[in-house]
Amino acid sequence: MNKNLQNISIAGVGESPLGSVPGVNAMELQRAAALAALADAGLSLSDVDGLLTTPVRVEKWAMPVGMVAQGLGIRPGYLATLDVAGASGTAMVHHAAMAVATGQAEAVLCVAGQNQLSSQSRDAAVAQMAGAGWAHPEYEAPYGPLVPTLYALVAQRHMHEYGTTPEQMAEVAAAIRGHAALNPLAHKKAPITVADVLNSKMITTPLHMLDCAIVSDGAAAFVISSRPGLKKRAVKILGQGYGFTHTYIGEHDNIATTGAVQSGRAAFAMAGVKPADIDVAELYDCFTITVIAELEDLGFCPKGEGGRFVEGGRIRLGGALPVTTHGGLLSAVHPGLAGGMFHVVEAVRQLRGEAGARQVPGAELALAHGNGGIIGIHCTLILGKG
Amino acid sequence: MLPPRPQDRFTLPRCEDCGKFHFYPRPVCPHCTGARIAWTEASGRGEVYSHSTVYRAPSPAFKDDLPYVIAIVKTDEGPHLLSRVVGVSPQQVRIGMRLRVRSARKSDDVIRFEFEPEKAK
Repeated sequence: MNKNLQNISIAGVGESPLGSVPGVNAMELQRAAALAALADAGLSLSDVDGLLTTPVRVEKWAMPVGMVAQGLGIRPGYLATLDVAGASGTAMVHHAAMAVATGQAEAVLCVAGQNQLSSQSRDAAVAQMAGAGWAHPEYEAPYGPLVPTLYALVAQRHMHEYGTTPEQMAEVAAAIRGHAALNPLAHKKAPITVADVLNSKMITTPLHMLDCAIVSDGAAAFVISSRPGLKKRAVKILGQGYGFTHTYIGEHDNIATTGAVQSGRAAFAMAGVKPADIDVAELYDCFTITVIAELEDLGFCPKGEGGRFVEGGRIRLGGALPVTTHGGLLSAVHPGLAGGMFHVVEAVRQLRGEAGARQVPGAELALAHGNGGIIGIHCTLILGKG
Repeated sequence: MLPPRPQDRFTLPRCEDCGKFHFYPRPVCPHCTGARIAWTEASGRGEVYSHSTVYRAPSPAFKDDLPYVIAIVKTDEGPHLLSRVVGVSPQQVRIGMRLRVRSARKSDDVIRFEFEPEKAK
């Protein structure tokens, strides 16, 4: 553990209503999440002296963190809009901890989210994502890839190099849906089987509809603080690391391997623990293949063994390594850039023993992982029971 | 700054300092950070590195093309690039399949170079 982080912890977590939340805008969702996280920490808005958020796609916010500060009625002394795509949720924890470690703030509120589902039609959401620049606007997007196509290319190559099967990918979706079924807040709770995934509509081979993240409304928040005497047992930040390989998948020359190799290696080294020590892994699950690649690249199994690793209930609750226990982006909530924050929220709840029916008994070490772009940027966190 | 991509032949950006090709174009060579880069004629040959058949269009403009094959092409010059594979049924596309540039299509001021199997008639 980095000694600068010794007295810093995740003090509170919270979220807004999740799923389909019509009639509520992005700011209202974020305010609900912020107040929930502050109440969880035993703090109030007047205690917040640092603020981090991510960009919002559904509103024309020229300066997102300014809009959020104004919406909450606060004027923090440290503030920033952070964007490392899907890795933003885990990276926020690190950036907030750095602000606290340098004395810039004592209580940093991280909050983000939007009404990604209710503000637009599904077709509009698909078109918006396809045109958002994940594919190079001039040299990739004109050929017509969906965002899922860019991940499908990863899946196809992974199948070719390692023999990964559609059934193994489907098991990831079924396992994570099983966890969502135990989360009262989750957007999609009806259990699904491997056959259901394989029988769902083919979107872009080899990915079916149920191999892909959902689209939801929702916001999440957490408070990073050095304050003593917090309301609940604080969760420690033991390790973190980043891994960046590319912006556009078309130029990456080894697409079956992700930057989670670098982010995981750095996070485990800082924490001084090994993958086998982790009790619960909140992996970023934008697509089923993402989870399989992360399991390998973070070192939970040898490279190429991710497909076989997920078999036999190993990533389900009760298995050797429960993965994404809140239900993830595949089933619980996916409101855009804020999606990865819910993995952090869940890791904290697991370490506090507050995860209810989906509690991993005796969880003391959790990993939360964020993946951004098309497997191009990663941020891994290792968190410990306070 | 690199001029617009030629439309009449298949070219890739090549660094005049280290001689290597790269893709997509950028201000400096990713191999040596050299800044003398030129669109240079390439063989237009390569192979399928990965592929996906798309069944749902990202926007109405692509609906008439469905289903279509998006592929990452490993060019014989080295760089990978995203394109379409045409002139073959989607089920027959395989990783490692040899490809050649078929044609340049230009619409809305965007040039698209598509690939087809090398052995196609």
